[in-house]
Amino acid sequence: MDITAGTIVLTLIWGVAVGCVYMLLASGLNIIFGVMKLVNFAHGQLLMIGAYATWTISVATGLNAYEAILVSMGLVALLGVAVERLTFRKVLGTEKLNEIFVSLGLIYIFENAALLFWGDQSQRIVSPFSGLSFDLQAFSISYDRIVAVGVVVAILVAFGLLIYRTKIGLAMRATSQRNVTATLMGINVEKIYMITFALGSAMAAAAGGLYGIIFSFNSQSGAMMTIIAFAIIILGGLGSIRGAIVGGLLYGIAEQMATLFLGGIWASAVAFALLIAVLIIRPNGLFGEKGE
Amino acid sequence: MLSRQKLTAFVRSKGFQILLISFAILALIPVLIRDSFFLFVFTLIFIFAIYAASWNFLTNSGQGSLGHAAFLGIGGFASAIIGSRLSVAIITASKLESMPIGALSVFLQIFVLLLGGLLSAGIGLLIGLACVRLKAWYLAMVTFGFSVIANTLSSQFDSFTNGINGFAPATFVPSGFPFYILVISFAVISIGVMYAVMKSRMGLAFRAIHGNEAEARMIGINTAKYKLIAFTISTFFAGIAGGLYVYFIRFVDNSIFSPTNSFLPLIMSVIGGLGTVSGPVIGSIFLTSIGQILTTQPVTQGLSNTLGPFFPKVGYVGPPLTYLFIGVILIVIVVFSPKGLESLFRKFYKYLIS
Repeated sequence: MDITAGTIVLTLIWGVAVGCVYMLLASGLNIIFGVMKLVNFAHGQLLMIGAYATWTISVATGLNAYEAILVSMGLVALLGVAVERLTFRKVLGTEKLNEIFVSLGLIYIFENAALLFWGDQSQRIVSPFSGLSFDLQAFSISYDRIVAVGVVVAILVAFGLLIYRTKIGLAMRATSQRNVTATLMGINVEKIYMITFALGSAMAAAAGGLYGIIFSFNSQSGAMMTIIAFAIIILGGLGSIRGAIVGGLLYGIAEQMATLFLGGIWASAVAFALLIAVLIIRPNGLFGEKGE
Repeated sequence: MLSRQKLTAFVRSKGFQILLISFAILALIPVLIRDSFFLFVFTLIFIFAIYAASWNFLTNSGQGSLGHAAFLGIGGFASAIIGSRLSVAIITASKLESMPIGALSVFLQIFVLLLGGLLSAGIGLLIGLACVRLKAWYLAMVTFGFSVIANTLSSQFDSFTNGINGFAPATFVPSGFPFYILVISFAVISIGVMYAVMKSRMGLAFRAIHGNEAEARMIGINTAKYKLIAFTISTFFAGIAGGLYVYFIRFVDNSIFSPTNSFLPLIMSVIGGLGTVSGPVIGSIFLTSIGQILTTQPVTQGLSNTLGPFFPKVGYVGPPLTYLFIGVILIVIVVFSPKGLESLFRKFYKYLIS
């Protein structure tokens, strides 16, 4: 394939659009880590469930795909509440490995339940803008990718307002700093944990809806997404939202560039090489705070 | 050095006798139950027991890996490639039709497996060097990344590895009972060695690091050195398990690096009992037999007939239901009995003798 300036610009724009979806997913993972000090390795599976939920809702009710995303965010948030209450709450505060084990169990449950309910064929959400694109001379950009960037920015802004302008946001920030002190200040920490997990899950579901519009997906799609989200927040530093935004963009662009220059099978390997290189030099990520 | 006195002391020691007895019991089982499916499952159980034990050994030093399939795969590919080259060389040199099976071929098989393990340990040492400063999920992620990279490399250098289409390794030890004996010899020795290390002063250092790394360093333990040793030993045995696995199923391709294979030893160890010697073995018995029995033809057919109508979108409901079940069991064990089945058996035993 010829690599012209046009293809490079196009790849860059693709990278930004895909990076925005990753960014949203990673922010969800990051808010959960920031407040609960918990890493949910089944976060990508929530994205997959969110994508399926969006697909099912838009097929069953004929809703516009972007409206269906809103409904699926609500449903996955409820699922998140159930997951938090039934599993993670029981192992919080015990050994860190237990959280990894529980998330692994959740991965098995989500993936296989999705396989049982939705089958093994890949699906794709039909959006109202499908097939439409901006035609510039050298390349064309589909509307969906531009809308995806807009949706992600809107959700992140709403999220920022929630964190910095509301009382719940204040309570979440307090809990993230020190949960014992937050309890002493009269904050119901368990409730905050529940809200945080629901919020993170809803963000994963939104990312899932956007992912399902841009790419086709199946029950296995979540695994790689967890890894990518994790790689991003490690790049950016655990618990840092700014890091997740920069990391998401960097990762999306790096991945698309690797696909362009080296071929599809290198996409994930290059991303991991980047991740490993960063971690060897800075064991706490680019913007990470010093750990224990 | 290994003097005659020490050797006799070792032969008379309790540990060695336990090894011999367990070997004898395991070797007798297929003689009593003559069934090829049973033998197949049992061989697989002990291959995965080595693999799970190697993961458990690493975790005992506080390092949880999510990418052990990298080492399973490196050991498998290395021993299969070396074995194939060797067998071609022998066949051309001796002008025979095929590789003669005998004492020499058994020796070659062991040699090839050990080479696979050593290569895996060598790469493990290098990866361990990169991982020595990392903790918890950082380490989990980086090890997982290495298994993804190993997969990519085996596809990229396909002309050398044949990773995309896969290939069958040469036959050195015939399948069936002889291979079972080979597997249980390796299993008993490997698990015995790991047990001995875990009980030694070095094992104490590992547990101290697991407990609290900063404190371990404070009392004068060279934590980086011990973490590297644990990584190397663990990856050596994972490589051996990989070689055995590849020679047992008589096929290897890059799907050996799959995340499922990375998660398997973890699930086995956790279900069986983390940090114990018998845990990984119990977990392997439990998980491998469930997996094998639920995927046999009559069971899959029965499941499809009874539960299939509820899930019209899938052809075979057996495998996804099995994995769903494994996920539920894993969570239930972690939440309600974090020490695994091993501790439940122990409690039950205490209840029986009281």
